[in-house]
Amino acid sequence: MKRSALICILFAAIMLITLPGSALAKVYLDILSPFATRLPIAVPAFKNTGSQPDTENIAAKMATVIRQDLDLSGFFRVLDASAVSSDPASSGTTLDTIKWDSWTIIGAEALVTGGISVNGSELVAELRLFDAVQRQSIVGKRYFGRAEDARLIAHKFSNEIFKSLAGEQSVFETRIAFEKRSQGTKEISIMDFDGAHAETITEMNSICLSPAWSPDGKKIAFTSYTDGNPDLYIKDLASGKTERVSHKKGINITPAWSPDGRRIALTLSLKNGNSEIYALDVATRDLERLTDDPANDVSPTWSPAGDAIAFVSSRSGSPQIFMLELAGKKVRRITFEGSYNTSPDWSPKGNKIVYAGQQGGTFNIFVINTDGTLFQQLTHNQGRNEDPAWSPDGRYITFSSNRSGKNEIYIMRSDGTGQKKISGGAGEKNNPAWSPFLK
Amino acid sequence: MKRYTQVLLAVVLVCFLMVTGACTKKAVKKDAGLGEETAGEGMNKPGEEGLEEARSGGPQWNDPTPEMAAYFKDISFEYDRVTLSPEAKESLNKLGEWLLKNTSVQVLVEGHCDERGTAEYNLALGERRAHAAKQYLVQLGVNADRISTLSYGKERPIDPGHTEAAWSKNRRDHFLYR
Repeated sequence: MKRSALICILFAAIMLITLPGSALAKVYLDILSPFATRLPIAVPAFKNTGSQPDTENIAAKMATVIRQDLDLSGFFRVLDASAVSSDPASSGTTLDTIKWDSWTIIGAEALVTGGISVNGSELVAELRLFDAVQRQSIVGKRYFGRAEDARLIAHKFSNEIFKSLAGEQSVFETRIAFEKRSQGTKEISIMDFDGAHAETITEMNSICLSPAWSPDGKKIAFTSYTDGNPDLYIKDLASGKTERVSHKKGINITPAWSPDGRRIALTLSLKNGNSEIYALDVATRDLERLTDDPANDVSPTWSPAGDAIAFVSSRSGSPQIFMLELAGKKVRRITFEGSYNTSPDWSPKGNKIVYAGQQGGTFNIFVINTDGTLFQQLTHNQGRNEDPAWSPDGRYITFSSNRSGKNEIYIMRSDGTGQKKISGGAGEKNNPAWSPFLK
Repeated sequence: MKRYTQVLLAVVLVCFLMVTGACTKKAVKKDAGLGEETAGEGMNKPGEEGLEEARSGGPQWNDPTPEMAAYFKDISFEYDRVTLSPEAKESLNKLGEWLLKNTSVQVLVEGHCDERGTAEYNLALGERRAHAAKQYLVQLGVNADRISTLSYGKERPIDPGHTEAAWSKNRRDHFLYR
């Protein structure tokens, strides 16, 4: 099957051309048994095909980004390519010029090559993925962008690699929102899923908490004390406009968008300081009360179908995770292990809930099926681990941990492997929320 | 249909006037959403619970003066509990008595937690701690309208330490006035 060579697709400021080559229908990655076997792949340093000498830095950075993406995904074994290709300038990047034997000898079954040229601030990247066993092209793209888009282009091709080999997109172009403390205030920040491009998006000069992405990725709901009370706000990321959407007396906290984006489940304390969960209609501001119990109910998370919420309640004495079916208002307790279980997040695939549980004076991350079976601990003996949240494909989990000495944001695979700190710099960071797929 | 349009126009006009009024009155405040508070209240109201009670926002709350300090004393709580201890009740008795004599003073009860629990859950817990004191003061005869509550959860510890001594100080209700 031959792909059309000159289809230009405009991704933001980056132009893209699909290079000629054969896209194979073969499935290389079994995404149904995740992380079981890993495809050996080589990503040698990219080649400077232009004349500007500093291009080597950019080329090296792009190859590194792709290697890190593939490694993090858990589906690849990224081979050490330096022994084979110490001089990228002399090694081939196209089907005809690649020295195939040197790649098969190190066991590579897939190969990524890149030719990068920079002219002033303009960057052209020709990135290719090959089947190193069949010696065939799988996918090739030519990206036109600015030099500062190098990381973004690399992430786009990582996504292309994953799509070609697994038939689904991955998280390489997603972002993570979180709380960042600095000098007595907390603001909401956003960074790429690998920690790059961190930016503060609120300027409330106050405590801002619990960022929640709208399902279209265009808005973030959060709580702020800027008006002297913990009220709920929505920030529109494109326009930068911030709007207050709930300001009842008492707490207006822990927002969670319904899957259709029309409602936000949140916690209010309208009577005697007793927190209950309500659904706020974003357009009309109508409120529907969802829980009714004299104990604290807090931290709702929607099922992917929007027909149920899981939440934290102290109705059994200490905080535990409960589930509420919205149609029949039937409530059932999900967690029985441990005496303090909070921060539930419902998986996008629908059958799992990740949460933080107190364990011997610290917290760890756990996953449990929504029917209460298959309880699994994901973090062990590494500081205090909290605030877990799923990636949009359900393959990864972000969380906060103080294992490095202060609170930072981490990501891991959904089986607990590959735990990696992604945030850095000053300030304690908490409560990460993974964006939906951003397109 | 036409009548609805007229009603709608009237409502919009009234809302606009309220917004303008609110903004002129409180021009010092930088919050652009302030007008919307006044205009939106009727729409938001779930109709069951005392929204007429004071929100914690509005004019500045102050730390008690040295003369008031003996009455505005922090009260402490057990871990993950909202029950008032005998000592806490004793402090609240003094505060209640003082408030009944000084009827122009409004009080803000801030509920705080120690760092051990989960941040979001602690916000709910802090609100309850603040309300425990409020309800006690109301039982003593203080008008509920004079008492606002504000939960900070574990966001504003008074002692940044990680010991039981620090935690015990941080599990508190703190009282401000205006």
